[in-house]
Amino acid sequence: MRYSVQLAGGCLAAMVLSTPILAQDAVKIGFHGPFTGFAAADGKSARQGAELAVQQANAAGGIAGKKIELVAYDDEGKPENAIPVANRLIGQDKVVVTVSGSYSGPTRAAAAVFQRASMPYISAYAIHPDITRAGDFVFRTGMMGEVQGRAGAKLIADHLKKKRVAIVAVNNDFGQALTAGFKEAAPKFGLQIVAERTFSMPDRQFGPLVTQVKADDPEVIYAPGYFFNAGPLVAQLRAAGVTADIVGQEGYDSQRFVEIAGKASEGTIITTSLDRDSKSPTTRAFIDNYEKLYKERVDMVAASGYSAMTVAIEALKKAGSQDGKVIRDTIRKTAFETAIGNLSFNSLGEVKKAVQVQKITDGKFHHYTVIDDLELLAPPEK
Amino acid sequence: MLYLELALQGLVNGSMYAVVAVGLTLIYGLLRILHVAHAGLFTLGAYTTVLLTNALGSLALGTAVSMLVVGLCGMVIYRLLYEPLLEQPPYVALIASIGLFISMEEGYRILFGPYGNSFSSAWLTARISLGPFNMAAADFAMLLGAVVLLVFLAALMSRTRLGMAWRATVTDAAMARSFGVDTIKVRYGIFFMASAFAAAAGSLVAVLNNLVEPTMGSVPSYKSLAIIVLGGLGNVGGTLLAALLLGVIEAFGTIYTGAYLDRDAIAFVFLIAVLMFRPEGLFTAK
Repeated sequence: MRYSVQLAGGCLAAMVLSTPILAQDAVKIGFHGPFTGFAAADGKSARQGAELAVQQANAAGGIAGKKIELVAYDDEGKPENAIPVANRLIGQDKVVVTVSGSYSGPTRAAAAVFQRASMPYISAYAIHPDITRAGDFVFRTGMMGEVQGRAGAKLIADHLKKKRVAIVAVNNDFGQALTAGFKEAAPKFGLQIVAERTFSMPDRQFGPLVTQVKADDPEVIYAPGYFFNAGPLVAQLRAAGVTADIVGQEGYDSQRFVEIAGKASEGTIITTSLDRDSKSPTTRAFIDNYEKLYKERVDMVAASGYSAMTVAIEALKKAGSQDGKVIRDTIRKTAFETAIGNLSFNSLGEVKKAVQVQKITDGKFHHYTVIDDLELLAPPEK
Repeated sequence: MLYLELALQGLVNGSMYAVVAVGLTLIYGLLRILHVAHAGLFTLGAYTTVLLTNALGSLALGTAVSMLVVGLCGMVIYRLLYEPLLEQPPYVALIASIGLFISMEEGYRILFGPYGNSFSSAWLTARISLGPFNMAAADFAMLLGAVVLLVFLAALMSRTRLGMAWRATVTDAAMARSFGVDTIKVRYGIFFMASAFAAAAGSLVAVLNNLVEPTMGSVPSYKSLAIIVLGGLGNVGGTLLAALLLGVIEAFGTIYTGAYLDRDAIAFVFLIAVLMFRPEGLFTAK
């Protein structure tokens, strides 16, 4: 007991002594994500992406000679944890800008706190429309769910030339936003929605749903969900003899999807942010460095975490100031070259960019096409 | 035909619930403890099977070893967690059990990573035709596995000393002891078997989904609690029926009420309704 008290005291003393030395000439950037709990897989990828961006920026000299220090907290994917995390980043750690590597729930909750503190806040891949509506300090580098849903409709009509679609969506904000965008655009492209079905986030066994979809007999299945739903879903659809095309979106974008679904994943087409066959040197370098450093296949979430952090760092460099308002204005008027393409932001803080379409061939994601109809993909301005 | 196929899919899910919940109800009958960490052993069984199968190349061997290992883990949990708490009010053991379950989930995440594991050689897309039914081989394996395990359990309970001793202990522990039943041995025996069953269910689910994750136990954990309450706590037959019934109701619910009511909520709507009208459970004699 006494030993542990001494140890704790020693640790405390060491922390008190070491913190000011570190903090003196470091620029602090905040980060939060679900490092534990149900979404821990995405939390890990997002964090690894963000850490890589910081590491590279530090190796290249930091920001005006100062090292970047990443302050990362776990929000467990829960909105109620995101608010204390945001307050700690603002009040205790005194970060200058924060990146969210989390889902919509926590990101929406934290966005309001950062807005009130006039601190720039960049959401990497959360899709809920209300996030950027928190105010002018909030930005998003990922696509809104609605925008990506519209891209899915165009993909099915114009590229796959199919008509009869069954929607099978995860019943949370992610699935709902994608479904809403898809349904909004469907009539414009002459798509016929034969059935709309949902499953819940923890579902892995889709027996009844698969039986029903088989009876619906669609030409294409549009199935918003995450790789941990989609892997079993696609495998079970194929095992039941369903041969319709399956169109997914960025939630599928992980090599784990292919490992789970095995051969059944062949031919699955997804809309996403990351082009694995990209010719852009920035994207190529990111993929190579990430896979070398972490010995893992890159995924969309990692690329998004990396890209959002790139925006934060480049904005800090360019602004030459740690003042929230100056950084905000810099983000607003700059075009950033990132691993997920060239990004610029509209008046609401939403990203303007093209949608990548990838197809799984021989167990790997490959370039299929790009959807860059900017009118179709325009995010809302307010 | 659609209805029949849906019912069949419901039975596949229900049989998974049955294999998990039957262990839980045995333990409740014996100790009056709600063993929430049971679902943590379900996950452990799935991980052990996937890792061993990938290393050894044999699913049967992997599952057998997994059942053995997890069975022993169940005994250890009884000895280290529940035995010291038996004199305390039941909620103490319940809190301890929930705590253990959460630690197990985070432990798996730290040990095996958050992305989940899969079998390296997948047999997911194999199919079997049974008369008019055409089902995935993995679904069939789940049904068959559950039947084998439950028949084995029925034989064990009605024909062996362990079964008799369990029934005697549940009825009146003091009396059983005075007739020479070693109640401590019965507890170890039941924990071993219940945990081995959970491991088997976890392994079957792993084959079905080809995905084993740290949090895969969370749905079975609360659903099997609902099931054993529905079945009449400690009532083995009632638990089996409740599990199968819930599986079938969920299968139809997924399709016909999915727009308003989440599949995972059905168990609780059902539970609330039953508790309002038959608070002693669905299958308990009045």
